[in-house]
Amino acid sequence: MKSKNFLTALLILVVMFAFTSSVYAGGKVYKLGMSLAITGPTSDAGNPYAKGTEDYFKFVNETKILGDDTIECTIRDDQYKTDVTKRNFEEYLDDGIVMYLNYSTGSTLGLKRDFEEEQIAVLPASYHAGNLDDSNYIFLPIASYSDQLVILAEYVAKNHKGGKAKVALFVHPSAFGRGPVSDVEKAVVAGLNIELVEVVEHGKDLDNTAMLKRLMSKKVQYVISQTVQSPVATMIKDSQRLGLTASSFGEAGKITFLGAHYTGGNDLIALAGTAAENYFWTTGFNITSVPGEKTTKQLALAKLFGRDEKAANSHNYAAGIMVAQVATEAIRRAKAAGLEVNKANLYKMLNGMNGANAYSPYTTSGPVTYSKTDRMGVDLLQIYSVQGGVFKAVGEALESEYMKKIK
Amino acid sequence: MSANSWLATGNFFTTYKQEQRTFLTSLDRSFFTLFLVILFGWPLLFELGNKNMLVIDNILIAIVAVMGLNLVTGFAGLISIGHAAFVGIGAYTVASFCRTMGDSHIIITHFWPVLIVVSGLVGAVFGAIVGLPALRLKHLYLAIATLSFQMIFEWTIQFMTFFNQGQTIYVGRVFWFTGKVGRKDHYLFWYFIILTIVILLGFGIRNLLKTRYGRSLVAVRDNDRAADAMGMNPGLTKVYAFALAGFFAGVAGALHAYVYRGVGFESFTLHESIGYLAMAIVGGLGTLNGSFWGPVAIKFLDLQVETLAEIAGKYLPSSMNLATALKPFTFGLVIVLFLMFEPRGIANWWRITKSYTKLWPFRY
Repeated sequence: MKSKNFLTALLILVVMFAFTSSVYAGGKVYKLGMSLAITGPTSDAGNPYAKGTEDYFKFVNETKILGDDTIECTIRDDQYKTDVTKRNFEEYLDDGIVMYLNYSTGSTLGLKRDFEEEQIAVLPASYHAGNLDDSNYIFLPIASYSDQLVILAEYVAKNHKGGKAKVALFVHPSAFGRGPVSDVEKAVVAGLNIELVEVVEHGKDLDNTAMLKRLMSKKVQYVISQTVQSPVATMIKDSQRLGLTASSFGEAGKITFLGAHYTGGNDLIALAGTAAENYFWTTGFNITSVPGEKTTKQLALAKLFGRDEKAANSHNYAAGIMVAQVATEAIRRAKAAGLEVNKANLYKMLNGMNGANAYSPYTTSGPVTYSKTDRMGVDLLQIYSVQGGVFKAVGEALESEYMKKIK
Repeated sequence: MSANSWLATGNFFTTYKQEQRTFLTSLDRSFFTLFLVILFGWPLLFELGNKNMLVIDNILIAIVAVMGLNLVTGFAGLISIGHAAFVGIGAYTVASFCRTMGDSHIIITHFWPVLIVVSGLVGAVFGAIVGLPALRLKHLYLAIATLSFQMIFEWTIQFMTFFNQGQTIYVGRVFWFTGKVGRKDHYLFWYFIILTIVILLGFGIRNLLKTRYGRSLVAVRDNDRAADAMGMNPGLTKVYAFALAGFFAGVAGALHAYVYRGVGFESFTLHESIGYLAMAIVGGLGTLNGSFWGPVAIKFLDLQVETLAEIAGKYLPSSMNLATALKPFTFGLVIVLFLMFEPRGIANWWRITKSYTKLWPFRY
């Protein structure tokens, strides 16, 4: 009799446990993966980028943006090595991720075939236009480096006084740097009123005197950079030392420096100091030195998770938040449409982000729009310039005219 | 001595041929056969997932490359710090076929065993060419010559449009008797292929070292003038040591291209060359089993330090980027510690372990 009572009690306990555990585990967990350079080359950008993504997903889970459902995004360091990125990606696939967040140009290009085979939507931190060639699953968060360089060249053409502006490109010796060069050349052929005098692929030079003197001898007035901050900082410091930097845009007989997304931001000012003054930079993100309602939210998020000033004010922190926002929005829309949150439906949701359904996160200078034929998110680019030691907005956010012509 | 080899209580050789046997006792052969059965059998019993299979494939590829490096540096005593470039030669041989014929051409997808051998041969040719300075140079000067080959390789790949300026050149999926090897089975398939190659090449080295050609490598390393006096050709020996190393590296490169389904410049940099050298040192220079221990030890250390650096990266101040330094620091420290305290590498620990276990069961 005793044993019968014991078995009944045990059965009740098991049923109760099963019931309560099912209530407790009511929310679904959506797995995402991110691989980026937290250490190694470009980790100065990768580190705040990872923090931005991590913080936003924590915020989503804590504030129940997805109800009881949560996002579990594993963030792993790849030290900027494609082999390691591939390993991380395979690990995430083993774990059953529904969307993947990548980082470098090299690894995005290297894993493109894998993304196609797995039919998984990917948001990289690389805005290389070549990522989109022969690919259906890579979604650039903002306009490509090509768009960025062409829009800077358009700005030069519009604002240069007297004749045709002589321009040099200063690029990283890789696909990341070289990629946009041909698009600038095409824009020139299509009628963009600049003269492309020279394309310089920089090395690891600690002194750019010879290069700057050579550009001056060719009467170059504008140098547009597509690289990372440190070579730009070296170049503009040398230019300041030689007295070659224009004090205002297009000053005759001097050089005005301009650059794409990864050349600028607060890190450039920290590296170059006063030499960064009058540096023109374009990106698709809002920056905290131009205060507003949107950037306040970014700073509040950083404060909520105890980030330091450097990370909180980094445009890479904003970029990290942005990809997390887009991923979250795709999941939210899939849920709202009553669809299962899986790779296929998230891909469908991303492709539907256009027209009235475009998504406007607080981190970007324009709405995120994707479709089956357009996988470049934020088309509007904002130009900034360093004034008084901080980046200030120059006019309104723009979309490149010539990129439309040459596509 | 007992007529039954299982009851033998010592290793008695009555002929020179017996001494040259690969396995000295039947027990050795049995253990080795069992070991091979386990190596080939475990993936059929346990599913590890693609990530772990990729790690294992990567270790096996490194073993092939380090076997080659061990031949030239360990056995022949010629320092090579451009080994990753030779691996790159093999990988870019496959990539060149892909560029000219298309990555899904039948030669790439169906005749991949031939292409792997061709890559090895191309590696051997480049090895022999780079080995030519070894006729005149020694020690540090030879190291610099191999370093310059590494630099030339990197420059060529990064700037030639044919090689896609170092960006990934895709390699198509291969076919087996059962059809196209899909994504699900990709890493497992290559595990069996690379394992087979490792075993074949391992036996190849073991047998080579028993021949006059293998012995001449060691003789030239120990004293090239004495070797010359004994009738060997030190110059030719040095060149063929480089050619052999180039062959192994070329095969490793082709395997890398197929496993990763693409060839990108960053897998064949000077940093990778130093990595191979570290694997050879940690494993044990001049030993065959050291070529196995080294890659296993260094790759596993890499994985552990990666995890540590990742955790440290979250807590250490990002401005100083201290976490980035962890990996090279650990890597350097391990090499220094091995050079100081165990210059004969892990292979020596294996030797000691074996000598202890030889006492049982009464083999002497």
